[in-house]
Amino acid sequence: MADDRIGGYADALLAVAAAEGASDVVEDELFRVAEAVRSNDNLLATLSDRNLPVERRQGVVEDLLGSSAHPTTTALVSMVVGTGRGADLPAIVDETVARSAAGRNATLARVRSAIDLTDDQKSRLAAAIKSKTGSDVEIRVVIDESVLGGVITEIGDDVIDGSVRSRMTQLRESFS
Amino acid sequence: MTRRIRQIAGALGLTGTLLVLLAAPAAASGESIGGCAVEAAVHAEEEYGSLHAVEEDKKLFEELEKEMEGCLEAPSPIIPEVDEIIWGGAAFLVLFFFMVWKGMPAVQGAMKDRADKIASDLDAADTAKSDAAKIKADHEAALAGAKSEANQIIEDARAQADQLKAELTARANEEVAEMRTRAAADADAARSQALNDLRGDVSEIAIGAAERVIGSNLDRDAQSALVDAYIDEVARG
Repeated sequence: MADDRIGGYADALLAVAAAEGASDVVEDELFRVAEAVRSNDNLLATLSDRNLPVERRQGVVEDLLGSSAHPTTTALVSMVVGTGRGADLPAIVDETVARSAAGRNATLARVRSAIDLTDDQKSRLAAAIKSKTGSDVEIRVVIDESVLGGVITEIGDDVIDGSVRSRMTQLRESFS
Repeated sequence: MTRRIRQIAGALGLTGTLLVLLAAPAAASGESIGGCAVEAAVHAEEEYGSLHAVEEDKKLFEELEKEMEGCLEAPSPIIPEVDEIIWGGAAFLVLFFFMVWKGMPAVQGAMKDRADKIASDLDAADTAKSDAAKIKADHEAALAGAKSEANQIIEDARAQADQLKAELTARANEEVAEMRTRAAADADAARSQALNDLRGDVSEIAIGAAERVIGSNLDRDAQSALVDAYIDEVARG
């Protein structure tokens, strides 16, 4: 039932973004918003708090996104939060991005890096992953300074960890 | 025994009765001085017709006088009268034969019984003595066996005590050795744990410092180079 609801919201978001003719921008911004919410517990709790008035929760969305995001992105996030599904926002966005990629016969690759990747780096990484997995991937970069350096790529349940953080962790484990 | 005594008592009683009865005629044969004189006078009167005739005849008178003087003589205290001897002898014989007939078997039986009883008692005494000796021997044997058994028990107990002492000593030594081994192992483990903890702390400090150094020194070019290296590594598979 929950999967059906999340899928329904994902389809709605895709349909609105397509209707507005801003699918790529909206999907990218939704992905970044979802990652920001996922990594910030206080923000997630605030957007999920049904005791707060809807206007208050939507006001938080407006304050965060405002003029920096596409209006459709802000409206869609506000809609999800307004319907009381703020806690499901990361899952809804993940499903949205995955279904969008699936519509283009591609698989979503979540890439964590301390810096944003250039378009060349994204295309080379996509090509490298395709050569390894045999399927097209769409790179979605998440800026995560905790990786210190390098990249962590998540494709479904598979993880390719080339971060400095993992090297440090391995070094720490070797000493313990 | 009681029957024999009653038989002997009956024989003695019968003998006494016969002595009394047979003694009576003997006593009756004795007579007084007056009676003797009267009898002499009566005898002289019957023989010579009257006493007067005797008094007139001096010879007859002297014979009567002599006979009466004979009445004055006392009987012998030693020699009994003839009839007394006859009655006494007859009574003695009767009593003798009666005693031989009745008393002798009873006395012989009593003596035989007495002898038999004494022999029986002697046999019983010998048997009792033999039994007592046997019991004494048994008791002495039992006492000797008990002493031997007691000595064996003492020896066994002493052997068990020695064995137990040896076992306890060995066990105590084993426990001491085990405790020493365990203590040494614990000390080694504690030392190893301390070294590991120290190594972990040192590595944590070092790695934390390295992370801070890396985080502050990785500029964009270095970060980009790391991304490129990662892409190349993924491409090489």
